[in-house]
Amino acid sequence: MTRKIRGLWAVLAVLALLAGACGDDSGDDSASDETTASGDTASDASVPPDGPTITIGTQDFGESAILSQIYGQALINAGYSVEYQELGGFRDLEVPAFESGDINFAPEYVASMLEFLNEFAGEATSDVDETLGLLEEQLSEIGLQALEPAPAVDTNTFVVTPEKADELGLSGIGDLTDDLTLGAPQDCEANAFCLPGLDTVYGVDLSSGFTPLDPGVIPDALENDEIDVAVLFSTSGIIADKGWIVLEDTDGLLAADNIVPVVTDELVDTYGADFETLVNGVSAAITTELLTAANARFDIDAEDADVIAADFLADNGLG
Amino acid sequence: MSALNEFTTFVTTSENYWGERGILIRTWDHLRLSGFALLVSSLLSLPPAVYLGHIKRGGVSAVWIVNMGRAIPSFALIVLIFPISLRYGFGLGFWPTAFALVLLGIPPIFTNAFTGVRDVDAGTVEAARGMGMQGREVLWGVEIPAALPLIITGLRVSAVQVVATATLGAYVGFGGLGAFIVEGFAIQDNGKLLTGAILVALVVFVVELVFGWVQRRLTPWVRADLLSKRDPRSFDIVDADQRTAPARL
Repeated sequence: MTRKIRGLWAVLAVLALLAGACGDDSGDDSASDETTASGDTASDASVPPDGPTITIGTQDFGESAILSQIYGQALINAGYSVEYQELGGFRDLEVPAFESGDINFAPEYVASMLEFLNEFAGEATSDVDETLGLLEEQLSEIGLQALEPAPAVDTNTFVVTPEKADELGLSGIGDLTDDLTLGAPQDCEANAFCLPGLDTVYGVDLSSGFTPLDPGVIPDALENDEIDVAVLFSTSGIIADKGWIVLEDTDGLLAADNIVPVVTDELVDTYGADFETLVNGVSAAITTELLTAANARFDIDAEDADVIAADFLADNGLG
Repeated sequence: MSALNEFTTFVTTSENYWGERGILIRTWDHLRLSGFALLVSSLLSLPPAVYLGHIKRGGVSAVWIVNMGRAIPSFALIVLIFPISLRYGFGLGFWPTAFALVLLGIPPIFTNAFTGVRDVDAGTVEAARGMGMQGREVLWGVEIPAALPLIITGLRVSAVQVVATATLGAYVGFGGLGAFIVEGFAIQDNGKLLTGAILVALVVFVVELVFGWVQRRLTPWVRADLLSKRDPRSFDIVDADQRTAPARL
């Protein structure tokens, strides 16, 4: 009996040690990340900025990781101390993370962010200035602001294979017919730039042939003809790689989903104009073409986001 | 509170029950897939488990190999198998999910059936042989009936895991109850999300009830008053309550 109990204590002790070691590990990691981030660069920074650590929230898709790294490395190079915080795939984790102070910087998308904050009221349009104005109103209510949007637009696009386009004579979204099957992310039924928008702007109702799919598996489904039409992101590297056809949006369904850095008022107040100029300079260099190429390296060549981001900054004279 | 209100609204709206993506079809799809996966898991794992338990050989390594399957997350399996399923014409949804669920369902069935048959009281088996029973008669007449409570426990554990995990099919276009959860999460509709979660919990509950009933019907000799005599050699995930020797055969 006593021997058994002693054994149990031994097991518990080992578990406790393991748990402790794990906890220490992660603590060490983030701490060392932070110190190397600021330590490396404090020497060559012209003005070492004094203020809170910039924590960039990253959503769980490649482009978000790349954008976080692009902004993050540019800030590190200028002497800011930067950390990255992985978030889940959806904005309902990101906004509370801003509110709780876990993050204070996130690469976002003008129209989608607006529609999230106004609870999908359908106010976003294909006009970026108008949409940005509405977004800023929403953000100011929760202590956030948008810096200048990048020229790059990452919005939903409707994509078909060239064979299907030939066979059915598809070139624009308006050419779609109700009997086609559609594979799209799971929010498509409620997303103003997906099923509802198709119906109101083009009068096409694909809801009967709609299969909700995880974004990661949609390209496979299209390639294997499981679906006729796929909803992919316009900056997705795989579209050009596979030679797929992006259906033209002649009637302005698709949103002004320009890349935009969203930051807390605190960051702008503390770091001021230098910070804004730096971030806006980075944003100005991010075009749809460059971002698509960067995504292709991530998705197709399986390179790491930090390497891609470093190359991007070097190629654009921002490194 | 508001989530509960949204849930009430969702489940009291009759349009949410009908059609391609309604509650009824999705519940049926969920049950269909889970039942199929459980059936295939049983067919694949019961015969070797019972045989190895009967000859009392190779069991440890078999249990070890089968248990490795538990270490692979079902989500990873589904995503890995997805492109293969498409390439060989099995399509979206059902087959890639079923494949992962079958692998998930095997370990509890195998381990319980193997342990159950192997650990049948040696005296009982000896007595059966003394009465002139041959190997196959001992297996079918003594060992399997004696192991039945454990075999059913394995099926029950497996069924619960499979039903709960079938929700992952929503990522690859399978329209089970998981689709309510994933879509509800994607469009911030807590009512939809909660509907999926509660329905899955309900199905699991019903599965537990059904297996409990089957178990009592098939093994009436395992009476409640015997449950207090726990077998001290209870094994791993095996439910100790079920490990009582048969009172009569």
